[in-house]
Amino acid sequence: MKKKVIVACGGAVATSTIAANKVVELCKKNGIDVEICQVRISEIQSNLPADLIVTTSKVKRDFGVPLITGMPFISGMGVEKTEASILKVLQG
Amino acid sequence: MIWETLKPALIFPGAEAASYEEVFQQVGGALTAAGYTKSTYVEALIEREREYPTGLDVDGWGVAIPHTPVEHVNSETVIAIAIFKNPVEFVQMGTDDETVGVRIVFMLAIAGKPGEHGAHLDELQRIIAIIQDTGLLQNLLNAQSAEEIIKLIEEKEKTL
Repeated sequence: MKKKVIVACGGAVATSTIAANKVVELCKKNGIDVEICQVRISEIQSNLPADLIVTTSKVKRDFGVPLITGMPFISGMGVEKTEASILKVLQG
Repeated sequence: MIWETLKPALIFPGAEAASYEEVFQQVGGALTAAGYTKSTYVEALIEREREYPTGLDVDGWGVAIPHTPVEHVNSETVIAIAIFKNPVEFVQMGTDDETVGVRIVFMLAIAGKPGEHGAHLDELQRIIAIIQDTGLLQNLLNAQSAEEIIKLIEEKEKTL
């Protein structure tokens, strides 16, 4: 079944582009059929439902969907752990 | 590649600033003065940084990648680089109040159509590869001239 991942940042220009690409690569490598929806934080709500939200900015709201920070894709610190958490949600 | 598009006039080794607002006024102001960004750019950087901070702690090296929505940028995507003598306090990306002392700023003036996603992926990935290379970051801190900074980035990009 196709999984939908919302990837969001402040402007949907820079950091979410990086994070979205990483999620696509990760899913491809693990045989997960994924649809990416790259939006601004303020547009998350209107793009639900989704299986997972990945953001590179802080989000305090609970959208009722697993939310994982994609920050490690930018800083390079803790990438493996983040990838494992994403896989756990999408394969679980 | 990025190094080919870097402009010595938009690279500032030995910069000094007391706050990120000052960083934005200096570096963003230079981008606007050179015609790459609109008069709204600096204010947009400040506004965005408050809401969505761009400081990064890369294994102890403080880096920031301030940028704005495309509306504030003219037709060409350009990158300005500033290396600060002393750390400037930025809030870390993805946090509310965790700060990081930043000495290396890559200011991205990203051009494009509003609502267009996924553009500039190649350039952005190169920037990310650069900021994740702490050996390169250390060399950037030691660089004395714009030409030296461009050379360091050229050498890095040739390995990508």
